[in-house]
Amino acid sequence: MKMKAKNTYRYFRFFVVLIIFVQLSGCKTDDFQKLDERNWELVWSDEFNDAAGRFPDEAKWTFDLGTGDNGWGNAELQSYTKNSQNVSMDGKGNLVITALRNDNSFTSARIKTQGKFSQQYGRFEARLITPYGPGMWPAFWMLGESIETVGWPQCGEIDIMELRGQEPEIINGTLHGPGYSGGNPITKHYGLTNNRFDNDYHIFAIEWDADKIDFFVDDFVYQRVKREDVPGEWVYDAPFFLLFNLAVGGNYVGFPTPETPFPQQLIIDYVRVYREAN
Amino acid sequence: MKKISHNHIKYFALGLVALLLVSCERDLEDLSPARYPSNPDIFIDGFSAGLNYAAFGGSVPTAFDVDQDVTYDGTAASMKFEVPDAGDPRGAYAGGAYFTETPRDLSAYNALTFWAKASQSANIDVLGFGNDMGESGFQVTVLGMPVNTNWKKYIIPVPDPSRLSAEQGMFFYSEGPENDKGYTFWIDELKFENLGTIAHPTFKILNGETKTETSFVGVTKTIDGMRASFNLPTGVDQEVILSPAYFNFQSSDASIATVNEEGVVTVTGGPGSAEISATVGDVEADGELIVQSVGEFEAAPVPDKDPADVISLFSDAYENVPVDYYNGYWEPYQTTLSADFEVDGDHILHYTNFNFVGVQFSSPTIDASEMSHLYFDLYIPNTLPGDAQFKIELVNEGTEGSASYSRTISVSQSQQWISMDISFDDFTGLTDRSRLYQLIFVSENPNMTSFYADNIFFYNNGIAPPPPSEPNTPAPVPTVAAADVVSVFSDSYSAIAGTDLNPSWGQATVVTQIQIEGNNTLKYSGLNYQGIQLGSSQNVSAMTHLHLDFWSANSTSVMVFLISPGPVETSYTLTVPTTGWSSLDIPLSEFAPVDMGDVIQLKFEGNGDIYLDNIYFHK
Repeated sequence: MKMKAKNTYRYFRFFVVLIIFVQLSGCKTDDFQKLDERNWELVWSDEFNDAAGRFPDEAKWTFDLGTGDNGWGNAELQSYTKNSQNVSMDGKGNLVITALRNDNSFTSARIKTQGKFSQQYGRFEARLITPYGPGMWPAFWMLGESIETVGWPQCGEIDIMELRGQEPEIINGTLHGPGYSGGNPITKHYGLTNNRFDNDYHIFAIEWDADKIDFFVDDFVYQRVKREDVPGEWVYDAPFFLLFNLAVGGNYVGFPTPETPFPQQLIIDYVRVYREAN
Repeated sequence: MKKISHNHIKYFALGLVALLLVSCERDLEDLSPARYPSNPDIFIDGFSAGLNYAAFGGSVPTAFDVDQDVTYDGTAASMKFEVPDAGDPRGAYAGGAYFTETPRDLSAYNALTFWAKASQSANIDVLGFGNDMGESGFQVTVLGMPVNTNWKKYIIPVPDPSRLSAEQGMFFYSEGPENDKGYTFWIDELKFENLGTIAHPTFKILNGETKTETSFVGVTKTIDGMRASFNLPTGVDQEVILSPAYFNFQSSDASIATVNEEGVVTVTGGPGSAEISATVGDVEADGELIVQSVGEFEAAPVPDKDPADVISLFSDAYENVPVDYYNGYWEPYQTTLSADFEVDGDHILHYTNFNFVGVQFSSPTIDASEMSHLYFDLYIPNTLPGDAQFKIELVNEGTEGSASYSRTISVSQSQQWISMDISFDDFTGLTDRSRLYQLIFVSENPNMTSFYADNIFFYNNGIAPPPPSEPNTPAPVPTVAAADVVSVFSDSYSAIAGTDLNPSWGQATVVTQIQIEGNNTLKYSGLNYQGIQLGSSQNVSAMTHLHLDFWSANSTSVMVFLISPGPVETSYTLTVPTTGWSSLDIPLSEFAPVDMGDVIQLKFEGNGDIYLDNIYFHK
C-alpha cells in the first residue's frame, strides 16, 4: 500500500518465477530456513467471531470513509463506507470486506486500529483469503503512528500483504520510508506454484525487531530487510498501527475491466499481534 | 455448432500408434479396472499418437494444415487453419474435430490449453473438446474466443475432470469468415494440463435462473442453458457451454416429476410441485426448474366446426394456414415469453410473463371476409389474484390502427378452459377483415401473468353477415384516357370547373364527401333527390357513355338523370342495393331526348344512402 504513490512500476508478469519457493510436502520449512527461536506472547487480536452482519469491534477498529485525496493518494476508484454490505462479520468466524460495483462506481471498506492500538516490534499476522480479478487490490498493512505529526513517508509503512487481482498467485511485501517510497520502495514478491491465494486461507505475517523485518507467507520467510539494508532512514523504531482494506483500481493495480467479477471479498479469519516474551 | 454430416467426413490417419508408457511400476494389488492411456498431448511439435482428424460437413476440407514456418516459440510445427472468404466454393467455413480411436483417460487434467495467434484480430466462433464425431457426451464449447496477431495462451477449463476417464474428443473448432473475409489462425502446444491456477468454478442450468412452470402429467421439458464459469490465472472468468452429461440432475419429488441424465424432465403425477436441480461433482449448479403439476392434463374441447367453414391458425383439429410466428417477441416493451408444450400429441401454446404478445400471419394475409367469428380456447393455469382484463386485437393490412375486443375474465374462470367465441361484430374498428395479418393478446391489468391457448381459428357460423353500411374499399380506378373524358366527379380526372355538387334545390338529401383509403367519394345520405349543377353547359355529343361507380347497402331505388335546358330530363334506373361497387357505363342514347350538345345538370332520385364516384362522360 502506498500512501502517496507516483507509480513507476514496470509490469513484469513473469518476474515472479525468478523467486521459486517450492514447498515440499513432508518437509518442514525449518529444514530449509534457519530462523532464530522465538517465544511469542499474544498481546492483541481480533478473531472476528461476532454474529453475521455485525461491524468490527469499535474498541479495536475505526473506519476510513469516502474517496480520500486523489483516491487515497493512488487514484483508487472505490468509495469506502461503513455499510454492512461492504464490511461485516459473516457469522462463520470471518470479517469480510466486500467490494461492490454499481455501474462505474465502486464501494468497499478500510478499517484501521489508529488511535486504538499500535505496537513497536513483534509478530503481526493475519489469516485470510484474497479477492481476485483485474483491478482488485487487497492489503494488510501498517503505518507509523507518527503519521499525524511527521507525515508520510517519514512515518514509515509496512505492507505485510498486497495483491494485484490479475495475479492471484502473487503477493508482495513492501517497506516505504523516507527516500524509498511510492514507486521505489523495498519490496519482494512471493508466488505460489500452481496455486493461488484466493483458493484457501493463507497466513501473512511480519516479525519485526530493532535489527530487521522478516516477511512471511505461511511461516515461510520470503524477505528479510535488515536495518542496514534500508537505502534511507530506518524509521521502524516506533509504534505502528494496523490496516485492512480492499481497494478497486489505482496506480498500483490498474483499472478493473468489464470482465472483473464482482462482488469481491477479502475474507479475514483473524489478526493477531505478539511480542517477544523474555 | 455446424451440423456434421458423416458423409462428408474425411479421415486422416495422423502419426503412428505410439507406445503408451506408464511412468511408474504398479503393484498387482493396485490394479483397478483397465485404464486408458493418460497422454495429455494433442499437438506439441506434431500430432500425438492415435489422433484422427475429420473436417465438418460443409467446411473447406483442406482448411487445416501443419505449418513449419509460423510456430509458437520457434518450435518445429504448429497447426494452421485457413478460414475461407464468404462464398468460397470449397466450403463456407473452417471446421473439424480431432479424436482418437482409443479413448484416453484425461481425468487428471482440469484444462485444455494452447497458444494461438491469427493473421488479424478475430473471434473464433467455436473451440472446444469432447466432440468424438459420435455421441460427444462430454462436450465443452467456448464461443467467440478472441485472438489477435500475438501469440497468447488460452485455457478451456474442464468442468469435471473425473468425467473424462474415457474420452475420444480431443479438440474441435469451427470458424467462419470475419466480415465476409477469410484469414488464418494458428494453434500450437495443444494439450491437457492440470492447473492449480484455475479457481472458483460455478455451474448453471437454465442460465442460472429459477423458472416456475405449471404443467400436467405427460408433459416433457428439456433443461437447457447449461454453462460453467471458471476464474482463469488472469483473474477473469471464462464461460463455457457444456453438455448435460456433466450434470447430475435431481428431482425433489419423483412422484411429481422425474429427470433423466439428459436433463429431460417428465411430469409423472400431481397435483404437487417438484424442484429439478443439478450438481457437477460436489458443486451445486445455479438455477432450478420448479414444476407445478396440476395433475392430469385436461385438453381443450375438441372443436366441432366444419373444416370447410374454418381458417385455422393453431389447432391440432384443423389444417393450419401459414403463420409467421406465435410469439413475435416485440421489443422493447414485450415481456411475454413462450413455453409451449405438447401432451400426447396435443400442442398447446403457453405464454408466460404475459403483458402482450402478437401472432402474425402475413404471408399470405388472411381474408376472413367470409368468416363471422374468432374462436380460441384459453386456460389460465394460476389462480387469478383478481379479475383479469383481457384484450384481443386484430390487425388488417392497409387499415389504420387495430380492431379490438376487451373482456373481463373473472377469478372463478381460472384453471379451466374458457371458450372465447367472439363475433367480428363485437370488435371495435374492424372495418375490413379481408387482409388480416396479426392477432394480438393484451393484458390490461397485471392479474393474468400466463395462459395457455389452443384451437385458434376464424370460422363462419353459417349466418350471412350483415352487409357493411359503408364501402370498405374505394371505387375502381378508371382506365379511360383523360383525353376521352369529360369528368363531373373523380380523383382521376380534372372536373368541369365551377361545378356545384350540392345546389340548393329544396332537397332533403345530405351531401358529404368521405375519403376511403384516401379516395374522395360522394355520399348521399337520406336521398330523396339531389342535383349536380355543372360549372358550364357541356357539349358531350362527341361522347358515347355516362360512367358511374355506385354503392349502397340499403337503397331500394335510385335513378340518374341528365338535364338540358327546357328543362329536358330523362332518367335511367340503377340496380340497388349493391354487394360492393357497381360500375356502370350508360349509353347516352338512353337519355334521349336530352340535348347532348347542351347538358347543364345531373340529378339523382331515390331513397337510402348511396355512395358515388367517378361520374364522367367518355367515348
